[in-house]
Amino acid sequence: MAGGYRQQPGANSGETRKDGKRVAGKQKFPPPGSGGSRPNMAPRDLDSIPESVGGKEPQPAGSHIHDRYRTGTEVGKSRALVDSHAKVTGQAWYGDDVRLANEIIGKILRSPHHYAKIKSIDTSKVEALPGVLAVATGADATNTFGVLPVTKDEHAMAVEKVRHVGDLVACVAAVDEATAMEALNLFEIEWDVLDPVFDPRKGLEDQDEPIHWRGKYHVGTTNVQKRVFQEFGDRSLVDDPTASSHGKWRMEGVHHGFTEPHAVVAHWDPNGRLQLYTPQQVPHYAHRALSTVLEVPMHQINVIRTFVGGGFGGKSDPFPHEMCAAILARKAGRPVRINFTREEVYWINRGRHPSYIEVKMTADDEARISGFDIDALIDGGGFASFGHVTSYYNGVLATAPYELGSFHYTGARVWTNKPASGAMRGHGAVNTRCAVEVGLDEMAEQMQVDPIDLRLANLLPPHSRTISGFRITSNGMREALERVREGSEWDSKFRQMSLGKGIGIGCGFFISGSGLPIHWDPNRFPHATVHMQIDMDGGVTVHTGAADIGQGSTTAVAQVVSEVLALPIEMIHVRSHESDTSPVDLGSYSSRVTFMNANAAIRAALDIREKLLNAAWEMLGYHPDVLVLNDRRIYYKHDPAVGVSYLQALHKAQEDKGSLIASGAYRSPPMGGVHKGAAAGLAPAYSFSAYVAEVDVDVETGLVSCTDVWAAHDCGKALNPLAVEGQIIGSCHMGLGQVLSEKMVYGRTGHLQNPNLLEYKIPSVHEMPHVTPIIVESSDPEGPFGAKEAGEGPLLPILPAVVNAVYDAIGVRIRDLPLTPDIVWKAISSKTRSLGGIDETELPSPRLEHSPLQATLVARGAEHKVRDRRRQRSEDTSAYVNGVLFGFDPNQPLEDQVEGWKSAVEPVPEQLAELGLAGKAWLKKEQRQMRGDQ
Amino acid sequence: MLMPPFNLHHPETVEEACELASTFLANDESFDWVAGGTDLLPNYKWHINVKKHVISLANIKGIDTISMHEIGAMARLGALADSEDVHPLIASAASKVASFLIRNNATLGGNICLDTRCFWFNQSEDWRRSIDWCHKEDCGTGSDCRVIPNQNTLCVATYQGDIAPSLMVLEGLIHIIGPSGQRQVPVNEFFKLDGITRNVLESGEFVLKVTFPEGVEHRVGSYKKLRVRESWDFPEAGVASSWIVGQPSSLRIASTALESVPRYHQSEIDAIEEVFSSDLVGSLSKAIMKSIKPVNNTALPPRYRKSMVRVLTKRSLHEILGDKA
Repeated sequence: MAGGYRQQPGANSGETRKDGKRVAGKQKFPPPGSGGSRPNMAPRDLDSIPESVGGKEPQPAGSHIHDRYRTGTEVGKSRALVDSHAKVTGQAWYGDDVRLANEIIGKILRSPHHYAKIKSIDTSKVEALPGVLAVATGADATNTFGVLPVTKDEHAMAVEKVRHVGDLVACVAAVDEATAMEALNLFEIEWDVLDPVFDPRKGLEDQDEPIHWRGKYHVGTTNVQKRVFQEFGDRSLVDDPTASSHGKWRMEGVHHGFTEPHAVVAHWDPNGRLQLYTPQQVPHYAHRALSTVLEVPMHQINVIRTFVGGGFGGKSDPFPHEMCAAILARKAGRPVRINFTREEVYWINRGRHPSYIEVKMTADDEARISGFDIDALIDGGGFASFGHVTSYYNGVLATAPYELGSFHYTGARVWTNKPASGAMRGHGAVNTRCAVEVGLDEMAEQMQVDPIDLRLANLLPPHSRTISGFRITSNGMREALERVREGSEWDSKFRQMSLGKGIGIGCGFFISGSGLPIHWDPNRFPHATVHMQIDMDGGVTVHTGAADIGQGSTTAVAQVVSEVLALPIEMIHVRSHESDTSPVDLGSYSSRVTFMNANAAIRAALDIREKLLNAAWEMLGYHPDVLVLNDRRIYYKHDPAVGVSYLQALHKAQEDKGSLIASGAYRSPPMGGVHKGAAAGLAPAYSFSAYVAEVDVDVETGLVSCTDVWAAHDCGKALNPLAVEGQIIGSCHMGLGQVLSEKMVYGRTGHLQNPNLLEYKIPSVHEMPHVTPIIVESSDPEGPFGAKEAGEGPLLPILPAVVNAVYDAIGVRIRDLPLTPDIVWKAISSKTRSLGGIDETELPSPRLEHSPLQATLVARGAEHKVRDRRRQRSEDTSAYVNGVLFGFDPNQPLEDQVEGWKSAVEPVPEQLAELGLAGKAWLKKEQRQMRGDQ
Repeated sequence: MLMPPFNLHHPETVEEACELASTFLANDESFDWVAGGTDLLPNYKWHINVKKHVISLANIKGIDTISMHEIGAMARLGALADSEDVHPLIASAASKVASFLIRNNATLGGNICLDTRCFWFNQSEDWRRSIDWCHKEDCGTGSDCRVIPNQNTLCVATYQGDIAPSLMVLEGLIHIIGPSGQRQVPVNEFFKLDGITRNVLESGEFVLKVTFPEGVEHRVGSYKKLRVRESWDFPEAGVASSWIVGQPSSLRIASTALESVPRYHQSEIDAIEEVFSSDLVGSLSKAIMKSIKPVNNTALPPRYRKSMVRVLTKRSLHEILGDKA
């Protein structure tokens, strides 16, 4: 006990004076840490400490490397988000809540034409209007920008031509909104109107005037922005299938429908630095783009992220109006605010791509999935945005969770004269996932097997590799399927309900953080960095660039720091609003934030933890290995009375140093294949989900209502189960909108007909089913405390679950989304006509009689269940790659085992004739190849 | 979104309101009436048909009566939906209008006089400029109709009021007042083609109240509304019917949200009278479906809306006729 000091425990509950105050020195323990309303240390919460380190928290999926840093403080506990008080009291400051002195109002002049060249702009009348303080046009900022470095194709305002109705032409700042609006009518513009393209299928053809020009990489003279070809596996397996499904899908574009319209305030401070307030998901990209467009170094710009009223991918691009505000403010010498109307929100768009998707799937005589053949033509609208990535995601994110014999994908994204599509929750994966899951349902029906058993017998196990080379780590797919089957009483409902009532299954697979940071080499620079600072008061200030857009990233960071340091969460203060103080972060997209930022935060917190433990070691004489951190105290494992308070240890650690400072970073490990496009879809972990939906279909009107959803999502470890459940329920709502009622309607003239929240039909509370969220925890080895994403993946399965349930209800497969009543009614009518004009109420309901294959599947599923459990718990660490199910040896290169095992990223000439719709983009040559021909 | 400027007037009596109106008429100054404002003000925000003056009826006392035989123009739809004094059909129709929040402000008079709607028209100024305007609000350009192109004489914007068909089948009488005095028009004669004219109100006139004949309480009615969402949405089609139980000749049917005016379907009933005993519901629903001609200017396609008239009529009739059908 040398060097340590022992505190005298008092009476049982500590002595108190008659007036209720505590008697100094007569307490059980001295007030630890911050004291406050909880003077005594809370007992250790063993229920929240894993079994592997002596607690009682069960770990069916095995132990985790972070287990020994668990203190039972915050992780795994349902907590209100730390910023919820600000929100529910109306004090959160969103884009429109920023008010600077002398602020003036900016308005944007938008194109009335779909596609036109600007011959001239005369601004003289605008400038002459009293009250107008600044006017800007495309000529004021000619540098291009874009969210992806490979496709910088946007300007602050149109430089040469406008590309869709609503495209930015010019902007004006005036003393008030009325004056600014009046000024917009005074611009005199001469146009040279061009022929627009609206149909993405037309975009594949050569044009006189393509919407953008990519120089030597331009595909012919078409509007193809990006084309992808991928082929893996043994294509001979698809011959003589036992079952096959061939579906042609048409999916309308949908918008994020976030609550807060875009709003920005730009202010050049007295030192000449730009202070830009904007609700951004990815402040860092806006920061970079502003620097390029304004020609000001990044360190002279401070991007201040306001509270974000919902993003869902729709606030992740750098936006032209942010540039406009900065340009106007620089000209006027006063802060400029630009607020969007809802219609402007739809014009800037970046929603989900309208898509034509064709899926051919086959299964062999053992009901193994021998081939996926996907063709996706996606409508990019006027700009590239995230489209380069979307073009890949539409294919590659369908390569799991099933083991495939072969995979063939052709994708193309074309420019059209419509508002730009971009990234939206479930980026690129949602539409093909729906098509593929419905195809599985159809094949199950042909083979007369249960679609859940078909899935259970074809899953990739944990710690395996997909056909395209993605590294799967933890995998809770099987448990998710089993739990929704049980929860929904599937076995007593599927194919057994009366006409109009149906039940359906759908699964999902999504990335948990993109493995490739867009702007830099991941081997040189981390994905995320977090700084931490503790001053003498004991409060922990965490600096992160993670952008909380309502998903709870700030809370997740606070929770993991709180867990590691065993401090109450109110002692953790997360600062993430300003680029001046936050480390560079890639922002909130690709479901990366919890995975990457919380990992970085844990590392920073571990650094602090070590300093505190070393200080306690010095004071107590016990090595950190035998010291326990618990609620603002550090004590000897075998005698809790021997210990120091957190503050005492902190002050010891601060001697000669002042504040404790630490920094933590996360980078993903090297992984994935080497083929072109191998990085697309690569992630350090993947989430899995399975939903069962129950629907009521009114066979006379075609109205579909979803009544119940059982939603199981594998998020690795729920750091905050309440937040995870919120994400699952919210995803259900958003996905239901896409599958039942939401669409961006482009009318006969190519105009967006419904740019408002009355006619863009987001489901109301009446349309919301009862959702039973089921959290599956597969404990990811690299996730923070085992966690993976829960923000985007949960959206995927709801679409196919509903479409499959509608089939179960009425026996009609519909492949036009959304399933608005007119679409469903039309499908019902053609079915009743084909059955000889029977009444809708006499439609036969689909029924299932199991074939012998069913028993094969059940047996294989049971076998795989044992296999998966052993692999998940690392009891079996042998190699597993996609193909083992088809008899291949995972330890040998597959190419050596079968002749014709493919791994191709370009079609061979013989294939060109048989490619699908998007595949036709490969019929054209790039400009650089054409030069060779001449 | 900035509201364009206008002068708001708050008369406190009906006479004062009429006086204001006649002054504006005499001076050739444009004005609108506003009751709850849930229809007018969104259009104003879109800079649609903005007038220099707006006369509010909100401060006039005594024009919000709610009873079985009389409903004032200023009666709020929320109050109607909750009322046990009005005919249950009116309460049911009112409860299906828009959303809870809108019903708290919206009024019966406003709902009757609802402006016709069209997705080429209910758009912002920038949007309408991009289609070079349309016939309903041509901004002096003489633009063509965008729904039925190459003509600018007929406006086919759709009347999407929920309550009018119920008033029709309950034999409602609309009391109109204006500078030239008071007059009464049966609800089924109140509406007038086309989408711009909308109804028989002359300049300066407004709807004061709706009255119902003695015995209306014996009518059993039903209103069926087609919409994608159970809240917010205007009807894509709507059918109301009523009868006095056991009196076949009392059967009345009306539809809404299909054309520029709501339709009262007496002629379809008259044509079917002789086959009353056979498949009345089937033949009537089919006849009414055939009589209407929706166009493509709302959320759902016209062919579908037309077909749904049959289903809505059938369901409405089944509900009121019960096993007597």
